[in-house]
Amino acid sequence: MPAGAVQRDADTAEFFAGTERGELLLRCCGSCGQLSRPQARSCDRCRSADLSWAPAAGQGTVISWAVVHGRAAGGEPPTRTVVAIVELDEGPWLHSRLAGVSPGSVSGGLRVTVGFERAEGGEAIPVFRPA
Amino acid sequence: MTALGKVYGRSAGQFAADAVRLAADDAGLALSDIDGLLTSSGLSGGVGLGLQRDLGLRDLRLLSQIQAYGSSAGAMVQYASMAVAAGMADVVACVFADTPLRENRPGGSAYADPSRAGRGWAALMAASGIVGANTMYALAARRHMLAYGTTCEQLGMIAVAQRDWAALNPLAQLREPISLDDYLGSRWIAEPFRLLDCCLISNGGIAVIVTSAERAAGLRQPPVRVLGWGQAHPGYTMARGSDFGLISGAAQSGPAALKMAGVTLADIDVAELYDCYTYTVLITLEDYGFCAKGEGGAFVQSGVLGPGGSVAVNTGGGQLSSYYMWGMTPLSEAVIQARGQAGQRQRPRAELVLVSGNGGVLDYHSTLVLGRDP
Repeated sequence: MPAGAVQRDADTAEFFAGTERGELLLRCCGSCGQLSRPQARSCDRCRSADLSWAPAAGQGTVISWAVVHGRAAGGEPPTRTVVAIVELDEGPWLHSRLAGVSPGSVSGGLRVTVGFERAEGGEAIPVFRPA
Repeated sequence: MTALGKVYGRSAGQFAADAVRLAADDAGLALSDIDGLLTSSGLSGGVGLGLQRDLGLRDLRLLSQIQAYGSSAGAMVQYASMAVAAGMADVVACVFADTPLRENRPGGSAYADPSRAGRGWAALMAASGIVGANTMYALAARRHMLAYGTTCEQLGMIAVAQRDWAALNPLAQLREPISLDDYLGSRWIAEPFRLLDCCLISNGGIAVIVTSAERAAGLRQPPVRVLGWGQAHPGYTMARGSDFGLISGAAQSGPAALKMAGVTLADIDVAELYDCYTYTVLITLEDYGFCAKGEGGAFVQSGVLGPGGSVAVNTGGGQLSSYYMWGMTPLSEAVIQARGQAGQRQRPRAELVLVSGNGGVLDYHSTLVLGRDP
């Protein structure tokens, strides 16, 4: 399991303020209302830079996944981390870790719900689990 | 081309200078003949405008760093060609060099994301377990598998075929033939990718020199013409409906380059395709039109790749088996084939060669059509 602690910066401050509250924030376009992924700096639909923050419902579907194998060390078997591209019901994609699911039982179309986990000394980050 | 692979003791900047000197020498040119320089850095950086000073090049009429990741080599040849055609410069050196390998450190560590802690979006990716290019491309490949039924065995056919080509290439780092069983037995990196789905890592540098056809005719090597080119940078929307993982920029830059060259895919004799992963070859074959979209798996499984096959792809072994100099890998093998200097792996017919460059995570694409001088 990745142990990295994430710190917010200017671009991510609002997003991590959201995760701290248990909210998954997306970018909402002031021009056309489209919701884009959190990292977006312009609207996915109309390219407007007039973006505000809006909470996602937190439900989505796995549209891709990978099982990352860590190096075997000290007689232990290699770690396996399931990561996914989750298509939120609102449309935007998030790259995230999948928890609570064994690597062999992930499938395309798996329904998932967001939760938040925090590494020691770091921000709360989104993690998805089977719904 | 400098020595490539596990070569230590020289910086990327030194490899770049070495490569330009070797290229000039190969052509029968003096360094003082060079009046244009385009540079491309890899992970280590260090290949920039200072190369002019390192080589003592005076009065350059074109000088720039180019950064479009794996599409850079193709892009450099394009910009050099345009400069020469415009009369802006006469002899343009295009160079890439990198030193990602350090002695006593595993090769893969160079490309793994080091942010165990860090700030911002990149740190969030790493903390979420997406540890670099292998994982990002694995996610792309899985999309292709889910949509079209592409299998690991099919990806393995690409790895096996390219290793068969590498066995014929004295320049290749990995020459021991492998079987599909060897491929399936290689360790997992990020499922669906195994070790043998991923390109190797190399130190070294490669340079090409672009000049007018008239000037080239009088130089030491058989000229290789730049007949057509294109670029395509999809700008994927990472949201519902995206083509990410399913269609790459090759679908646009390939046809553009062929059209400019006035040829069709059927006229192409050899294809040197950027192969950071087996999957990259597969999606490029589809997008260039060697087979229909979604049928890349069946296409490679039919055994058309490899030295005995009907489709000459990555005839030196590619980045998977020969050397990883980003876009200079397919470009260098293309030039060698077009010159007729590929020895045991020479294609009997190498009149027209297609060269792809792929960068980012399928974000940046270039295509060149090169031709043997008639």
